[in-house]
Amino acid sequence: MARLEKIKYKPISVRDLLVEMKDLSELMIDLAYSAALFNSRPLAEEVIEMERQVDNLAYLLDMSAMLAARDAKDAESLVAVSVVAGAADKISDAAGDIATIVLREIGIHPIVREAFEKVEEQLSRAEIQKGSVWANRTLRDLELAPKMGVDIIAIRRNKEFIINPEHDELVLEGDVVIARGAPMGIEEFERLAGKTLKTAGS
Amino acid sequence: MTLDASFKEIVDMLAELKDTSELMMDLAYSSIFLYSKELAQEVATLEEYVDDLHTKFELLVLTRCISAEESKNFLGLIRLGVVTEKIADAAMQIAGVVLRGLEPHPVLKLAIKEAEETVVHAQVSKKSPLAGKTLREAQVHEETGMWVLCIKRGDRWIRPKPDTVIEAGDHLIVSGYAEGAEDLKRLTNSEKKSRK
Repeated sequence: MARLEKIKYKPISVRDLLVEMKDLSELMIDLAYSAALFNSRPLAEEVIEMERQVDNLAYLLDMSAMLAARDAKDAESLVAVSVVAGAADKISDAAGDIATIVLREIGIHPIVREAFEKVEEQLSRAEIQKGSVWANRTLRDLELAPKMGVDIIAIRRNKEFIINPEHDELVLEGDVVIARGAPMGIEEFERLAGKTLKTAGS
Repeated sequence: MTLDASFKEIVDMLAELKDTSELMMDLAYSSIFLYSKELAQEVATLEEYVDDLHTKFELLVLTRCISAEESKNFLGLIRLGVVTEKIADAAMQIAGVVLRGLEPHPVLKLAIKEAEETVVHAQVSKKSPLAGKTLREAQVHEETGMWVLCIKRGDRWIRPKPDTVIEAGDHLIVSGYAEGAEDLKRLTNSEKKSRK
């Protein structure tokens, strides 16, 4: 059973919460399918982490909505927000279900995997090690898109996700970067992501 | 490994379920952020389609005689099918807010109004420079500032991907700043003015 933390109210804007839930839930679906089709445990674990995050956001959003309601009219408009948040939560649960297929080693029929591999872009994750050649550089500097056709779609820093990061976002040691691209580009991405200053010269 | 016919059908159906449920999710979020009844209605139509397709998919999987060692692989398939259905339901839940006419909280609306985004339909004529091009080549966003949300082709809905080919006769559902609508009309139906 997963450890469930107590959620403390934080004054975050309803809109920001909702946008974050939307972005996370959409990204999770892509990530989860990629985890299933390429049978990737690390990606599946990333999805489970995101699911936890969305769960927490849903609690926070409900609290904010409750506090904001002063009269019947408020209640009518806030229930809409709450229903949408509930749906985003459902989508993230669905992504979690896909991740579970991988984590429980239920597996997808290999022929299905083969068929999907041809059409789908692949997602991958990489941790930025200490002394990595990528550390402390901006995404623009890394030139992943022009060089290998790979886009960084999210960065996880501790427990926070930065979704669709800007070009001037810095990559730091300990970050987990999530990338999307064609299989060949992704291979190159995984190779380069593991390089540290020590091994770079050799 | 070779694909026998019935198995290929299962794979194709799953791909269709996956694409359609993702398309529904895109459209549903757009319907609430743009507060568009039209998009919400598309989601409702697709929901029925997915329900139907999902049942067919499950029946097809069940009619395969599955050996004990194959059963795990097939369980994975069935679960993926269930997930697409769940996503479709969640999308419908979002679209339902719009269809019920529940106006979202002003905090949310303010942010939408600022952007003044709108949803536009346009049919691609035979003479349109878009016909026969992939979305990547078509550069609709660069030309008009608008994004293609969905392509309707006959009775099919297609989730746009960079290498999706636009055909003459396709209906594009597009969102973006209202100013882009004129450019879009010209691009999809360039009978009079030809572009440089």
